[in-house]
Amino acid sequence: MSEIGKLALFLAFLCSCYAVGAFVVGLRSGMAGPLRSGRRAVWAVCGLTLLATILLVRALVARDFTYRYVAEHTSLDLPTMYAFSSLWAGQEGSLLLWLLILSAYGAAFLWCYRKRLDPFYDAVAMVVACVMIFFTSLLSFVSSPFRILATPPPDGNGLNPLLQDPGMMIHPPILYTGYVGFIIPFAFGIAVLVMNRTGTRWIEEVRRWTLFNWMFLGFGILLGARWAYIELGWGGYWGWDPVENASLMPWLVGTAFLHSVMIEQRRGMLKTWNIVLIVLTFELSIFGTFLTRSGVLTSVHSFAESDIGPWFMGFILVSGTIATALILYRKALLESENRMDAVVSREGSFLFNNVLFVALCFATFLGTTFPVLSEAVTGSKISVSAPFFNRVNVPIALVLLMLTGIGPVLSWKRATGAFVKRNFLIPAFVGVLATLVCVPFGLRGVYPIVCVFGAAFVVATVVMEFARGVQARKDVEAPANPAALLHLVQKNKRRYGGYIVHLGVVMIFVGVLGSSVFQKEAHAPLQPGQSMAIGPYALTLDRVEDMQIQNATQTRAHVQVSRNGKRLADMNPSKAMYTKAQQPMTEVALHSTAAEDLYLILGGVNEDGSASIQAYINPLVMFVWAGGVVMVIGTLICMADRMRLKREEKLLA
Amino acid sequence: MNRTTLRLILVTVAVIGCVGWLISSGVKATGMQYMTVTELAQLTAPPHQGGFRLDGKVQAGSIAYDQKVPRLHFQMTDGKQAIGVVYNGLMPDAFADGREVVVEGSYHHDDKTLHATKLVTKCPSKYEAEGLGKDKS
Repeated sequence: MSEIGKLALFLAFLCSCYAVGAFVVGLRSGMAGPLRSGRRAVWAVCGLTLLATILLVRALVARDFTYRYVAEHTSLDLPTMYAFSSLWAGQEGSLLLWLLILSAYGAAFLWCYRKRLDPFYDAVAMVVACVMIFFTSLLSFVSSPFRILATPPPDGNGLNPLLQDPGMMIHPPILYTGYVGFIIPFAFGIAVLVMNRTGTRWIEEVRRWTLFNWMFLGFGILLGARWAYIELGWGGYWGWDPVENASLMPWLVGTAFLHSVMIEQRRGMLKTWNIVLIVLTFELSIFGTFLTRSGVLTSVHSFAESDIGPWFMGFILVSGTIATALILYRKALLESENRMDAVVSREGSFLFNNVLFVALCFATFLGTTFPVLSEAVTGSKISVSAPFFNRVNVPIALVLLMLTGIGPVLSWKRATGAFVKRNFLIPAFVGVLATLVCVPFGLRGVYPIVCVFGAAFVVATVVMEFARGVQARKDVEAPANPAALLHLVQKNKRRYGGYIVHLGVVMIFVGVLGSSVFQKEAHAPLQPGQSMAIGPYALTLDRVEDMQIQNATQTRAHVQVSRNGKRLADMNPSKAMYTKAQQPMTEVALHSTAAEDLYLILGGVNEDGSASIQAYINPLVMFVWAGGVVMVIGTLICMADRMRLKREEKLLA
Repeated sequence: MNRTTLRLILVTVAVIGCVGWLISSGVKATGMQYMTVTELAQLTAPPHQGGFRLDGKVQAGSIAYDQKVPRLHFQMTDGKQAIGVVYNGLMPDAFADGREVVVEGSYHHDDKTLHATKLVTKCPSKYEAEGLGKDKS
């Protein structure tokens, strides 16, 4: 069976090479035959990769320990559902998942444009096929998942207990769907340069693909944060760890692109900048894969060091150089059609939004790679961690929050003083009011105050925009009611979907503020019957017991929780000792409400029979997760908008 | 170049300047010097820098954990020298004798210990290729 897997990957490699060749021939000669053949080869890569994946998953589920990969990442006592997810527990499987999603994107792309015979789309597919060559050759020649052991062990090494979590079953595929998907915007960008393509149609197409990837990447990042919150057991969800930063960076640049692309569509400006952002987003997602896999930097997720680092660096260098050369070569194509009219305008505010997003990404990049960079430049190795990122990124993020309120309201070209006054007086007032309301609740410090002000300001501007929209429609049609609001969103999905995304962002800001500034912490060793207090909660230890679960022994504390004297819940913070790993694994107990989370950790059982309980109150964490869901809903609304494409189609016809 | 372009450039430069200042001051205030255990152990005078970051292994048999506080004491080694580390907090799950750890914190020269504010335990490489022998050729 392993031979079939190896063969499938090798054939996939040959097919990707053939596809590139066929596309090149077809594009140069203008013949339809080679182009059709190239498209079929991309489909073939997708099918072959799927076959290889199915073979590997079959081996994982069957615990066929003749496979090195299976022996490394599974064991006989591993629940079957985690045998599935051990596909991406190691490097070879992760690369296979990368290729699977990449080829699925290639196939999806061809399916979407199957009726278009424009060779431009073949050029896009050619770029995708080039990237396929890289991944198929890695999987065939450098890091094969189908290596066979000379002497198969009776049982495997088992799966890292940290990865034995339902969240870990969906987080990596969703994150990868975002990461890998940036290949399509990148391919569009390169194809535009190669084919010297004019017109704006492709911009709208790229925008839709980017929205899709951006949504998955953002959602994947939040799922990862949620996983860290529940599984890593330190009371937080974001630690500016290299692996986390790696996923955040392409998201930040992608966000910048989604904003500046609107200016290109509307005013024909910033063309070079947009191509640069597309290229950067893709390179950063490759760089992210490199960071998590190369072992260059230490991380809590700390995957083992490996030998594929140079390959990724090489790929980034080559693709980056080609993209830069093409951008320089096609300077004339990227000439701006308009000039910026005023600083205080939609374009102006979007430009600053872009500068700030890229600055956030740059600071994050610098901080993440600082040990390597400082050693190269000054010879002494300096590292920065969470305090650096908080210090640099928080103020930038707060300015961006303010721009979230200002930008979308400003008019295009030029906003007058009277306009600014009319639109921002009420929101500013609401912001001040919200700040004053929060001060008695312990709101102190510049950043928290700016955050509360900004959040209220943005919400007020969004509400006013909706109100204005409904009002404008009311004059012509039916009276205002909830249906009118729905109708409004339906009529201009892009605009109002965007506002909904912004509301989600505000919720995340509020959640982060609450859980970082107002977190409370307490620790105590408790004998059965004893209690401890944290905030309004009283925690009483009832008993501690040991129990056997499928592949681990679990020590479980029973804690009775009451809030202001009222019985609330029984919580069970635990520690599991996994038989295979011989390593304890903290299992957090969580009681979530919209206002706050009570987060309990069992530190361990002491010699005198007492149990060490660590407790946190994390206010408003729920807003972070809920904000993520709101952002997804808003993005889906934005994507449902097909108006512009149709209009452009009519123009073409 | 018209006035608007000039203004835009000025504002952009100002923004970039602010970000640059944030980064450089951030590095100065929070940067941690990488050191080997040996380098730190051989210091004769109290160091000027604030923070240090050390990579090394937990010396076998040196772990003293007071779970009730909770406070963790251990010796960290790079194979040549060893140095004491104190960490106030729960012991990470993967922490054990011989594990590779990364600590960050301030070095107190008088008692020759590193007071760690951050302790990261690298996952044991057990989950990757260990003890499985060679591939079938």
